[in-house]
Amino acid sequence: MNTVTPEVILTDVLNLLNQLARDWEYSGEITSETWLFADLGFESIDAVILASFVQEHYGRPFPFPQLLAEIGEREVKDLRINELVEFICQHSNTDAAGAKA
Amino acid sequence: MSSKVLLIGLDGATFSILDPLMATGVMPVLKDLLASGTRGELESVVPALTPPAWTSLMTGRTPGHHGIFDFLRFEFRPAGRQLRILDAQDVATPTIWSILARHGLRSSVLNFPMTFPVREFSGNVVPGWVPWRHLRLACYPRSLYDRITAAIPGFNPRELAMDMALEERALEGCHGEGDYENLIKLHIRREQQWFEVAAQLMREDPTDLTAVLFDGVDKLQHFCWRFLEDSIFPASPSPFESQVREWCLDYFRAIDSFVGRLIELHGRGNPVFVASDHGFGPTVEVFHVNAWLRENGYLSWADAANVEQKHEETLGMGTMAKRFYEIDWAETTAYCPTPSSNGIYITPPSADGTGVAPERYESFRRELADALLAYRDPATGHAPVARIWTREEVFSGPQMNTAPDLTLILRDAGFVSILPSDRLVKPRVETTGTHRPNGIFAAAGIGIRRGANVTDLSILDVAPALLHALGLPVPRELEGKVPVAVFEPEYLRTRPVTFEAPREEDTLVMAAHSGGSDPRMDAEIMGQLRALGYME
Repeated sequence: MNTVTPEVILTDVLNLLNQLARDWEYSGEITSETWLFADLGFESIDAVILASFVQEHYGRPFPFPQLLAEIGEREVKDLRINELVEFICQHSNTDAAGAKA
Repeated sequence: MSSKVLLIGLDGATFSILDPLMATGVMPVLKDLLASGTRGELESVVPALTPPAWTSLMTGRTPGHHGIFDFLRFEFRPAGRQLRILDAQDVATPTIWSILARHGLRSSVLNFPMTFPVREFSGNVVPGWVPWRHLRLACYPRSLYDRITAAIPGFNPRELAMDMALEERALEGCHGEGDYENLIKLHIRREQQWFEVAAQLMREDPTDLTAVLFDGVDKLQHFCWRFLEDSIFPASPSPFESQVREWCLDYFRAIDSFVGRLIELHGRGNPVFVASDHGFGPTVEVFHVNAWLRENGYLSWADAANVEQKHEETLGMGTMAKRFYEIDWAETTAYCPTPSSNGIYITPPSADGTGVAPERYESFRRELADALLAYRDPATGHAPVARIWTREEVFSGPQMNTAPDLTLILRDAGFVSILPSDRLVKPRVETTGTHRPNGIFAAAGIGIRRGANVTDLSILDVAPALLHALGLPVPRELEGKVPVAVFEPEYLRTRPVTFEAPREEDTLVMAAHSGGSDPRMDAEIMGQLRALGYME
C-alpha cells in the first residue's frame, strides 16, 4: 500500500462533506479549519455515520472511538476537519508500515 | 410469472386502535382492503421492538439467528465494555431482498431499519434510521437521492429521515398543545414524503417487491395513547383533548389515503400485504430496573451521591452514555444498558477477578430472576415484573451469545427505566402507549382469501408469504412458514409451496457473523456518545 498523503485525504474528506452539505442549509465554505459540530451542526449520530462513510471509502476500519474518546477529554469538545484528516492519514500509514514489516 | 407485490409496514400498528378507526370512517381504504382480503393478529418476537422485529420480518428468522436484539449491542471486550449501534452489517442472516436478488428479482425498500449501510442491492433503498445530514450518500444507488429530489417538489430530507434533535425532543414527551400539534403534523409531513418517494419509484422504476414503512404510527401511539384509545378517552373531553384527538385522526386519515394511492399505483388485484412489527397498549408505571439492581447489591454507581442527585426523568442518547460511564464495573454483576429491550446483562468474569464465574452463572442468574419476580412494589403490593426469559428460552441460535442474559416482561408490558431513582416503581403521570406482542397482518389481491380472519400468524411468516406470492421457493432454514390459510385453496393447488435448500452464499453470510466480533466497527460507541453526548 502506498503512503497516503494528507493532501489526498483532505481532498477526499472535503469531497465527501461537500456532497453531503448540499442538503445541510450550510452556505459557508468547508475547509480544513471547519469544525464538525460548531460549524456544520453535527450531532453525535452524525459522527458515527461519517465514520462509517470514511471506512467505506477507504475500505478499512479506523479506530474512531479512540479519536472521539480523546475529544471527550478536551475543553472544546469538537473536531476540526484537519484533525480528522491527520487521524486518517496517521492510521493509514501506520498500518501500511506495519503490513510491510 | 409472479405478480408484483407491495408490502406496507405500519410500525406498531394494532387492531385495537385501527378497528375503531375503520368502523368510524377514518380509515375507509384499510377497511375495504381487509374486507376484500385476509386479516389476522401477527405475533412479534421477543423483544417486541423495532430493530429485532422488523429484522425478523425481513429475514424470516428469530433474533437468535439474525443477531439484532436492540438498537444497540452491549459487549464485554478485553479492552472494556462497550455499546455499539447496530446496522445492516450486523444482520447475520439473508434478507428477503437478498433472496429475491439471487432469483433475479428487484426490490425497492423504503425506511426499514437495519438497511444501512447498503453494500450491494438489486433495486432501490432509502434506508430508515439514518440521520438526515447523511441521507444522500446512504441511498442506493447513489443516484437515487438526486432522482428523488428532482421528482418531488418540496422534498425535505430533514423531515423524511431521522433528526436526532427532534427524536430526543420526542423522547422527552409532549407537554402542551403546541408540542402535540408539532409532533403530529411533523409525522403527517414525514409520511407524505415517504409516500411520495414510494410513488415516484413505483411510477419510474417499478420493482418486483416494493416495501415502504410508515413509522409515525408507533411514535403517535407512544405519546398520544390517551387520545387514541376509546376506552380511556374522556366522554366529555376538554377542547384541548378534542383538538389533539382530531390531529391524531388526521394522521390516520393521511395514512389511509397513502395506502389507497399506493394500491392504485401498484395495480388493483396485485398482492398487497400490510404488517406491523408489534402491537401497542397502555403503560401506567415505570420500573427502575438499575435502581432495583443497585438496591439489591448487583450494581454500583461509581459516584453514587452525584448520580442519585441527578434524577433525570428523560433519557436521550447522551444521558444513556453518561449512565453507562457512571457504573462501577468492579462492583457490578448485572446491568441493564438500554431502556428499549428490557435486557439485563450479567458481567462475565474478567482477569481482575470481577464478574460472575462460569460455575456460578446458572445459580446466579436463577437467583437474580427469582428475586426480580418476587419483588413487590411496597406502595401497591403489585409485582412489576411479570415474566423473565432466559436467553436460551427466546434467543436460541448462533447469535445467542450476544443477547441479554435475562429479558424482563413487565406487568403492563412497558419498558424499564435505566435511570437512578429513589422509588423503584413510579406511576406514570399520564397513561402513555407501549409495545405489545400482537401486531397486525392483512393481505389482499390475487390468490388471497377474501373475508378471512386467520389466527396463529407469526411475524416470521411474512417473509415466506411474500416469497410465495412472488412465485419463489422458501429457503428451508427460514423459521417461519407460508401461512397457507391466507391463500385461496385453488391458488395453492396450482401454485403449491416449494422449498429450496440452503445456498452457499447464505451460509457464508451466516458464517461471517458467527465469530461475534466485527473488526469493521469495533467501535466503543459509548465512548463516542460519552464524548459527543456532552456537546448536546
